[in-house]
This record gives sequence, C-alpha cells and structure tokens, in this order.
Amino acid sequence: MQPAGVVRSNPHPATPAIVLRGLTKTFGETVAVRDLDLTVPAGALYGVIGPNGAGKTTAIRMILSILMPDRGELNVLGRASALEAKDRIGYLPEERGLYKKMRVGAFLIYMAQLKNDDGPDLPRRVRQWLERVGLAEVEQKRCEELSKGMQQKVQFLAAIIHQPDLIILDEPFSGLDPVNQRLIRDLVRDEHRRGATVLFSTHVMVHAEQLCDHVVMIHRGVKVLDDGIASIRARFDPRSLLFEPFDPAADVQVLSALPGVTQVHRDGGCWELVLGLEADPAVVIRSVASTLTPARLELRRPTLEDVFVNIVTADAGGNEAAALRAAVRDPAGVENEVRS
Amino acid sequence: MRKMLLIAKREFLATAGTRAFIIGTLATPVLMGLLIVVMPRLLQKGAPKIEGQVAVVDPTGQVTPGLQAYLRPEEIARRRQEDVRKMQEDMPPALRAAGGGVSQAAADQAFQTALSNVPRLDVTSLDPGVDVDAAKRPLADTPPREMTGRERLVLVVVHPDAVVRAAGKDQFGTYDLFVRGKLDDRVVEEISSGMRDALVEARVRLSGLDRKQIDVLTRVDRVRSRTVTASGENATNRVLNQLMPFALMTLLLMSIMTSGTYLLTTTVEEKTNRVVEVLLSAVSPMELMAGKILGQLVVGLLVLVLYLGLGVVALISFASLGLLDPMLIVLLLAFFLVAYASVGAFMAAIGAAVNEMREAQGLMTPVMLVFMVPWLLWMPISRDPNSLLAVVLSFVPPFSSFVMMLRLASPTPPPLWQALLSVVAGAAGAYVSIWFAAKVFRIGLLMYGKPPSFATLVRWARTG
Repeated sequence: MQPAGVVRSNPHPATPAIVLRGLTKTFGETVAVRDLDLTVPAGALYGVIGPNGAGKTTAIRMILSILMPDRGELNVLGRASALEAKDRIGYLPEERGLYKKMRVGAFLIYMAQLKNDDGPDLPRRVRQWLERVGLAEVEQKRCEELSKGMQQKVQFLAAIIHQPDLIILDEPFSGLDPVNQRLIRDLVRDEHRRGATVLFSTHVMVHAEQLCDHVVMIHRGVKVLDDGIASIRARFDPRSLLFEPFDPAADVQVLSALPGVTQVHRDGGCWELVLGLEADPAVVIRSVASTLTPARLELRRPTLEDVFVNIVTADAGGNEAAALRAAVRDPAGVENEVRS
Repeated sequence: MRKMLLIAKREFLATAGTRAFIIGTLATPVLMGLLIVVMPRLLQKGAPKIEGQVAVVDPTGQVTPGLQAYLRPEEIARRRQEDVRKMQEDMPPALRAAGGGVSQAAADQAFQTALSNVPRLDVTSLDPGVDVDAAKRPLADTPPREMTGRERLVLVVVHPDAVVRAAGKDQFGTYDLFVRGKLDDRVVEEISSGMRDALVEARVRLSGLDRKQIDVLTRVDRVRSRTVTASGENATNRVLNQLMPFALMTLLLMSIMTSGTYLLTTTVEEKTNRVVEVLLSAVSPMELMAGKILGQLVVGLLVLVLYLGLGVVALISFASLGLLDPMLIVLLLAFFLVAYASVGAFMAAIGAAVNEMREAQGLMTPVMLVFMVPWLLWMPISRDPNSLLAVVLSFVPPFSSFVMMLRLASPTPPPLWQALLSVVAGAAGAYVSIWFAAKVFRIGLLMYGKPPSFATLVRWARTG
C-alpha cells in the first residue's frame, strides 16, 4: 500500500520497542504521571487511552525525551534515551504545527532530512505520499494555504515520511472528519504491516477498539489497565445477550424461564438477557431463537468505554461514571462511522 | 552537527530569503543615496526671502555708511560665495577631486540657493535725537499676512562713544540691537557682523590708520593638520575621525539588533505554530537553539558585510581607505561574534519563554539596555577613549564589544592587548548567556499559558 522504495530490515527484533520502569513526572504540585511501567513489543500496535488530562501526552513526551522524567528508567528501541534513536522514531504531536510560509513539499523534505533521511529518491517519495493521501496538487503550495484537514494529513506524513521503526501518534484523529479518520486509520495499519511499532494515544475509546491489538489505560497519571484486546474482552465479558424480538408485541419476559438466563430487562431499544455463571452462551442463543423469533440476537461484547468506566469508577457513584463516559466519547459522533 | 546546520540553513533562508528582508536591508542605502540627491533641491525651495528695514540711530554719523555697504545684496552674495569656496578648499583633496560628481553639483546648488535667498535689507538712518522707545514700537507690530518689504525688522542704536572713546575711558562704547520676533538668526548674524565691520572701519579710519594694512598684518590662514602614521602622513580628517567610531559601533549594533530581533521572532513563531514539538522529536533543544543562533548569525554577518562593504567602497572612492585599519575589521568581526552570541542566545531564550511577541516586550528590557548604553556613552567615550569609565566598560560584557569598538576606532586607540582581552571578556559573557539561554530554552519551549517574569527565567536557569 505504501509508496515504492520502502524497505525495512528485521521488522520484529527481539528487543521491545519501548520499556518504561517507574516513570514519574510532576509539574509543581500536580503528578502528571506516576510510576508508569510499560513494555511495548517491537511490531506491536498499542493504544494509550484515557480522558483528557490523564497524562498520556506527558508519558509520550517522556518516551521521546522531550520531557525528562523526575524518576524512573526508560529504554526506546534498545537505547537508554530516545535522543539516541530519534531518527528511527516518527512523532505526530497532539499540538499540530507547520511552518506557515514553507511549501508543502519542502516542509516534508526538511522534516525527513532532520531525521537523517536524505536519499536521492526523497523528493519522489514525498510526491508519492502526497498522491497517496490525495494532496498531489498542493506540493508547491505554502502550508498556510491548506485547509485544516489537509494540514493534518501533511503533519501525519511528516511523522512517517522517513519510514521510522517506531511511530508515536498523539491523538491522531482529533479534528478530522470521518473520511479522513478512515484514511489515517488505513495509513496507520499500512505502517504497522510494514513492520513499524505503533503507539498512539486517544481519549476516544472507539478509536482504540478499531485499531489496536493492545491497550494501556491511564487515569489521573496512573496506569489502570495494560492488556490485549482479546484478553480484555474475556476478562470483562458482561455475560449477556442482546435480544430484539421480530414481533415487537411479543412477551420477552418468557425468556427468563429459559435455562441459563438469570435476568431479562430492557436496554434501550432492545432487551438484555443476563446469563448465569455456568451457562454456555451458544446453548442459550439456540434456546432463545427457538422460543421467540429474533430480529436481533447477539453476544454482548464489552466496549473499552465500559471497561474503562468500570475500572475507574469501581468505588464511585453514577455521576462520575456518566462524566467519564462523556469524556471518552468522540464529540463529533464519529463512533457509528468507525464501527461500520 | 548535520541537523544543526540544516536548521541553520532553514533559519537563514526563511529570514534572508523574504521580500521584507531584501527590501528592508537594501532600502536603507538607497534611501540615503536619494536623500543626498534630493535634499539640496528641497533646501533650494526652502526658506522664504527676507525683506525689510534696518533702522539705525547713529549719533556718531560714522557707522551707517559702512553697514549699508556691508548689507548690500551683492556683498552678502559675494561673502557667501567666498564661504563656499573656503569650504571646498577645506575638503580633503580626494573629496574635492570626486567633486566632479555629486558633491560639486550639490555645492553649486547650495551656492545658487545662497544667492537666491540673500536677504534684501534696507538700511535707513534715523534722526539721532529720535525717541528710541517709539522707534522700537514697529518691531512689536503684528506682521501683515503678506510682508511688503518695508516693515522694520531691526533697530540698531549706536552708542555715542562707539567710534571715539569717551574722555578718560579705555574702552570704546558699543551698540544696542533690537529685533522683531522670530527673525531669522542668519539675518541677525549678518547685521552683527556688519556692525562689527562698520565700527572697526570707522575706528581705524578716525585713528588715521590703514585698514587694509591692518587686515594684512592680522591675517593668519587656518592650516589643516596632517596626521603622521607609520605608513606615512595624511591630511587629518576631523569629521571622519569623529564619525568612524560612531559608524562602526552603529554597524555593530545594527547587525546584532537585526539578527537578534529575527531570532526572537522566528522562535516565538515556531512556538506559536506549535511546530517546535515536531522539531524536538527530531533534534535536541540544544541543537535547535544552536542551529537557529547560527542561522541568524549568518543573517547578521550578511548585514554587517553589506554595510561595511558599502563603507569601504565609499572610502575607496574618496581615496581615504587608509583611515580604516584592516585589523579594525578583523576585530569588528570578532566583537560581532561575541556580542551576537550573548544577545542572540538571550533573544532565543526570551522567544522560547513567551507565547507571542507582545509578551516578549517586558522581558526585552535588559537587551534594550545593552543597546542603549553604547548610544548614551558614545559622546563621552569618543571625547576621551582612555577614561576610566571607557577602560572599565570595555571589559564588562555585554557592553564590552560596543565600547571597545568605539575606543578602537577613535584617533587614540587602546593597545591591542586590551582589544584582545575585551574579546575574551565578551566570549566569557557569551558563554554565560548561552548557558542561561540553553536552560531557559529547553524549559520554555513547551511551556504555554501565563508568560514568565524575568525572575521565573532565572529560576528555570537555576533549576533546569
């Protein structure tokens, strides 16, 4: 999928791409990140999730040695500091920036050169990447002439133009429309397939669900979850079915008498059937379907949003849970599009 | 190193490649040239012609004819022509030789202006017994919108003993001069000179002496001094001697201010644009700062070399290049480097600490002070380049470079060891400034929100 000329060696070396041990950073009285431990294997696609202000950006800046931790150790691409491996890292900061007066092509070449990528084919690669994201015609335009969405795509290209081994993206989807979110998601997947390790942060859980195979949740500077998506689904399985009868007038409560079903209650536009601990979901699904004709019948999957809210509000009331849910949803309502 | 050079190259091109810089840098010499050509023409059409009456109360009866003769328009024009000729004679030979061009044309124009603007003064003798207060009254009259040329401008009252001493007195009497408000100083000066000449003429004549003989006996022409140096001797050029220190110090200040200001602007811009975080993922803060300082150093050098080159061309065209010691140029470059490193690093630190240019103003006070002090001290140091103040300040960075430049370009420069010591002092100051800037730069770049005070910058430097 990526432009020609992309050749990477040994995409999955044994050394983890990132290792953090007890990383802590404070700003005045505020502890932004507390005792963060994290290991990102080479070639992985990790999502760091948490609401705004959780400490994601601070953690990323420490990984990149843009900020120095107050204490703790880190290892990036086998080096004690990202400073020693900067050329192998691509970074898209949350606060986007371009040189307004610089031409797009020149900007991308400059950024690649700063990463020690100055091969004779660089201008050609820049053109190919611009074509790939539908910006071929803006190569000679000044950055300030581009729309905000175009600028974000150029900034994304600046992070990957030098074919880095480690790509760190801080809120890569913020401010993008659904079409461009899909484009960036595809590019991230391509880079991951190429062999790059990808670590990206987002406060919108659904973005992480769609893209990564492992998530790290941070809340108030503390890591509250660090697990693979499949494992999380198994651990936080709500053990329930979502059911919608074909006949809206049908008496759904009869399903509570079925073996394995402990509770039946309304959940929005459909019904939730809560399963007993010993129940086999496959058997229950067959029983339900034979009792009432379903318009919809599926195993309920835990969303990262549910998992996150469950973890951080274990001891809290309903108001905090509602506030957290609002904080980790995409305000643009892109969720449906991404799920499609 | 390679990344630092990349940043320096972009910094230089982003500054020197802009239309604003090219026009701004080239416009000044072009404007100066235009002024030289246009100013005499503007002056020619300048002051209105002065016409009016000079009333004289002359109880001696000996002074008025002399004053009348002195103030005849032809006489005034002849004297002005003579002044212009003397001025041309006073010019260095090379400048006179070059006079075939602009300066001769300018001199001719000035002469024509003088001739056409000669005041028309009607010297009228009043009755010696006239009431002086009444004679003064017309001077206080509000002048009509259009002067008729008959209004009284001046009243001269000659004392009775002005030509012949009163009995028992050693000194001659003099005269009183009453003038209309807002009368051109040059007219008053002309009348004063005329009275002096007429009184001397009358006194000499009545003493039975020969005025021409006395003039010949008392005339000693002014000579132009010649400066003797190891490489020979040249006519001393006092104007250039005074201008040279000022010009070189201004050149130093101007080039540093230009590049320092650009450094501040581009740093604030990178921070405001948020491009700085992308850069920091590719280079260290120190590499970024060093690259930016280096890029703007070349901008400053370009300005310095351009204007210095213009100066050298001007000196060559006036055959006065000998006035500029090559060592002075070498030291000028050395002082530029150390002073720029001090000021530039500080500017970069301020740029990194603030969020927008407006916030930088408050933190710029120390830098502005550095720029102001040499201007304030220019006159005292030029007059006495080896005074205690001048010597001490030439070793106190960041003033050292500017003060030493003033002293070096003066007619009595300090010994070379002092100049070299000043460079070393400046370099030490630059080291401290860069150390401070590096700490502030690294912390400030990612700080947004309330702009820091100067005390906060110091705290960052201590703890950073």
